[in-house]
Amino acid sequence: MVSLARTIRSFRRVGFKEWWRQLQYIGDAKSGTYVGKDQFGNRYFENLNPEEEIPGRHRWVDFAQHDFNATQVPPEWHSWISHIRKDPPTEDRVVQNLSPPWKAPYVENLTGTRGAYRPYNTTKPKVTAWQPTVAARGD
Amino acid sequence: MSLAVFRNAASAAAHRAALRPQVGIAAVRSIHTTKQANAEIPTSSTDPARPITQIAKTGSNQLSLETPQNKAEYVLSTMDKIVNWARQSSMWPMTFGLACCAVEMMHMAAARYDQDRLGVVFRASPRQSDIMIVAGTLTNKMAPALRTVYDQMPEPRWVISMGSCANGGGYYHYSYSVVRGCDRIVPVDIYVPGCPPTAEALLYGMLQLQRKMRRNRKSVLWYRK
Repeated sequence: MVSLARTIRSFRRVGFKEWWRQLQYIGDAKSGTYVGKDQFGNRYFENLNPEEEIPGRHRWVDFAQHDFNATQVPPEWHSWISHIRKDPPTEDRVVQNLSPPWKAPYVENLTGTRGAYRPYNTTKPKVTAWQPTVAARGD
Repeated sequence: MSLAVFRNAASAAAHRAALRPQVGIAAVRSIHTTKQANAEIPTSSTDPARPITQIAKTGSNQLSLETPQNKAEYVLSTMDKIVNWARQSSMWPMTFGLACCAVEMMHMAAARYDQDRLGVVFRASPRQSDIMIVAGTLTNKMAPALRTVYDQMPEPRWVISMGSCANGGGYYHYSYSVVRGCDRIVPVDIYVPGCPPTAEALLYGMLQLQRKMRRNRKSVLWYRK
């Protein structure tokens, strides 16, 4: 639960810089064990002590980008942070071995930019405009 | 003469479209094989200093608007940012619950997803709300009412289309009494897919709408014109 004692405890654990960053981006003073870092530089933390973190808030991510967004979490870490897998992908052999070599690199949601998905159609249109052709007149 | 001018303009537009940098998924799915070499634009990035969302904005009007070129533009874009912050911090959606999607919309308001922490408060009056969430099947009979409610909302206003039925008719697409997508009645900003979308998906849609609000640079646009 959020309390002054917990805030002071977290502040003393993580230091001023990290505390200030958390205040800007998470809005809470959290402390826990550092679990890992993904390819985008997002850092993942865990605190399983129910006295310090409410169960459900015990896994969290510190985004690398200022303009953060939930799709910046790659699927492997998503499965850890959403409790689909118990272990983080740094330890989970199953997740590591399931990654096929032909897999495309993960890209976050690009809605609203030029990289956004634009649907297209490859079928022949069923309705076509009439192109009038003039038959040659005999003279 | 005029025809030639038109044709020139059209070919110029086509040329520009061909030269426009394609990034992300669109570049991968491009069906054209004989394309200008634009290999310098990557389709993915793991560098937090230069993320893919920034790369995807390269050369766009939006990036130009977001980059002030003189002091007046700097002031105006800062004003824009303040306006955007105010708008995105208190989004009051007008609830237009029509079917089962409305239940998921209620879940977004409940304790687990807790929309209030984002400043999203349901307001059952169109005159005091700025977003409309169309949740559910829009029937022909309801369509005039939806349009009336939309017209009663003050500017600026946004519309979130929630669920397959509101997006494009969904399951009832071939029904005689259903509007095939609420974008035939009102302009839609965010489409949330799903049948019904989870409360999490709708909340993500709200966050995407915040992102859209943050892109607003209306006064810079006014100044440049």
